[in-house]
Amino acid sequence: MAVCTGCSLLCDDIELEFEDGKISLTKNLCRKGEGRYRSLREDRLVPAVDGAKVGFDEAISRAAELLGDAENPLLFGWSNSSLEAQRIGIDLAKKLGATIDDTSSFCQGYLMEKVLRGEYPTCTLDEVRNFADVLIYWGSDPSSSQPRHMSRFSYFPRGEKRQRGYDEDRTAIAIDVRKSPTVVIAADGFFRIPPGGDAEFIEALLAALGGKIPKVKDKKMKKKILKLGSTLRKAEFGVVFPGLGLIYSLKDEIDKLTPLITRLNEVSSYKLIPMVGHYNMRGFNQTLLEETGHINRVSFKDGVEHGTQFAVTEAVNDCDALMVIGSDLISALPAAISKKLARIPTVAIDPHRNLTTDMARVTIPSAISGLEAGGSALRMDGVKVEFEPVIKSGYRSDVEILSRIMEAV
Amino acid sequence: MANVMEVYQLLPKTNCKECGYPTCMAFAVALLGKEKIIEDCPPLIENPKYEKKLEKLRELLAPLMSADATETGMIIHTDKCYGCGNCVVACPVNVANDPKGTALGFGPKSGRAILMVEDGVIKCVNVEECRRFGPEKILCSACIVTCPSRAIEFV
Amino acid sequence: MAKVEVTIVTYRDIFQEEAKEIGRYSDEYRDLSALILLDRGDMKLIKTEDGQTVQVETDGGMVVVTARLSEEDEEHPGLAFMPNSPWSNQLVSEDTGTSKIPEFKRIKAEVSATDKDVDTISELVERIRADY
Repeated sequence: MAVCTGCSLLCDDIELEFEDGKISLTKNLCRKGEGRYRSLREDRLVPAVDGAKVGFDEAISRAAELLGDAENPLLFGWSNSSLEAQRIGIDLAKKLGATIDDTSSFCQGYLMEKVLRGEYPTCTLDEVRNFADVLIYWGSDPSSSQPRHMSRFSYFPRGEKRQRGYDEDRTAIAIDVRKSPTVVIAADGFFRIPPGGDAEFIEALLAALGGKIPKVKDKKMKKKILKLGSTLRKAEFGVVFPGLGLIYSLKDEIDKLTPLITRLNEVSSYKLIPMVGHYNMRGFNQTLLEETGHINRVSFKDGVEHGTQFAVTEAVNDCDALMVIGSDLISALPAAISKKLARIPTVAIDPHRNLTTDMARVTIPSAISGLEAGGSALRMDGVKVEFEPVIKSGYRSDVEILSRIMEAV
Repeated sequence: MANVMEVYQLLPKTNCKECGYPTCMAFAVALLGKEKIIEDCPPLIENPKYEKKLEKLRELLAPLMSADATETGMIIHTDKCYGCGNCVVACPVNVANDPKGTALGFGPKSGRAILMVEDGVIKCVNVEECRRFGPEKILCSACIVTCPSRAIEFV
Repeated sequence: MAKVEVTIVTYRDIFQEEAKEIGRYSDEYRDLSALILLDRGDMKLIKTEDGQTVQVETDGGMVVVTARLSEEDEEHPGLAFMPNSPWSNQLVSEDTGTSKIPEFKRIKAEVSATDKDVDTISELVERIRADY
């Protein structure tokens, strides 16, 4: 059995068949995971300095030079690296006096912090499978982003107290701005809200839970929300799965969600699991939290400092060297910010060629976790999953690359 | 899924009997029952004035005529499939046959599952176990309604 | 040239995610990324049909993508959808407010018909590299 690192479900029931040392058939991988497996053969990165191919050792020493000479280096990425690599990354940041940040900074960070600090009740996906009866997919679309979420854990499987099948045992509700592929199958109600309408929907739902008439213009919607209120009250074990839709709508006002989570736990028992995308974003947040008391956006220049000025979108204005690992930052950020990134001397570590590696001064190819390198990671619900490499390759793991840079700095 | 009237509307409607059936309506039924193929209607093939109808009819019947359709009429549009496994886990036959695997959300463990995911897309095996198989068939739709992309249909 | 004002919400698509795994530079990735899904009425306003190219402009930037008719079953004038990608990111403002998270899911834009070809990833890269 192999572990898929295609998303933060870390599916551990992947079966493979081999022919001549190559994977000839995969079982139980979704389309997204299959893409990751196929990527073994596509567009692999080569070690290079200023566009010219070099040996691995040369790439390492140039990377160490570039980072070591900098006043304000920024180390970014991390959500596609193992826990072991993340730990070395944090040590490297300490040694360099660098700023360190990860993809959660412009992704699930604000919500993940609440969960990791224990401010929002959470549970494991196995508990969801065994006990959950009311599921709220809020601004999340597992069908597209965590494709096996509903079949492995949340909606369709039988569980200890959910023996009769999804149509009898579970209630699935979707709150979204569009009719996503998840909305299509969440059988018990689709609540279409306007972009940015989440805070208002929270208010309406709070009213409905308190037996008041929600302040909603549309009469049909008003009735629907009232009915939802009573459905939510009847839950034995409810779970909210917030996605980027909800998080980008609230951003640093994530506290607006707090009264609802509190209220839901007064009327019944509700948990919350952030719908993380990258396979080990939660791992990085957890590790950095243990190490520094903060989940992201940390500077080691002068002890441990934390703040929005260390968010990658801000730090880009001050840093004079950048290391990006396992993330195509240039593709992911607004072009106006990427323009600034493009001018910073960059070391890019990635299994594949992408926009960020193309703009980097130094590129270092890495092994794909779960396929070519082993390690461990935290699933979106915090459960630790260990994985072994399933095929032999000459590519070095993030752990090896980071250790080498660490030695050379 | 095509119905008889849709098929009939695309035939010449002359009841010429060249296909061996007394009426175009009967031929439409035979087409849907896979007893005849479009080419068994010579006027439709040969007369250029039916060109548009012929094209539409081929389009309409393409899923039915495709080699992908199993004996139950199940067609899996692998190009649309997400490989999410919702159908695998929701299928009542899988649940009964594979209680420790697919019933719990895993890949099949017993070798008796009828739906499974291979190479990132869904695949149907042991089709005789499907509830829609044979004369006593039940019109189960567990695999259809749980699909996020309508990748499964029965014709 | 007729223009229509829209709010663009970005989203993830599994086929696009699959293509991304295979390569940012693949034609497949471009075909599945350089898209905007428009309401039927909005398409009429700018005299564009499904499959034609449109120019999308914001204060932050500009991009040429293929227009597709949205498959939503309710009308949604003024609301458009784009897969999250370097194409949509051409349009996102660099103003990240107090949260420091860019506004990826509420992009105010103007859409108009165009004869230009869909931007290639290399063109986007050149624009990012160019001095400003």
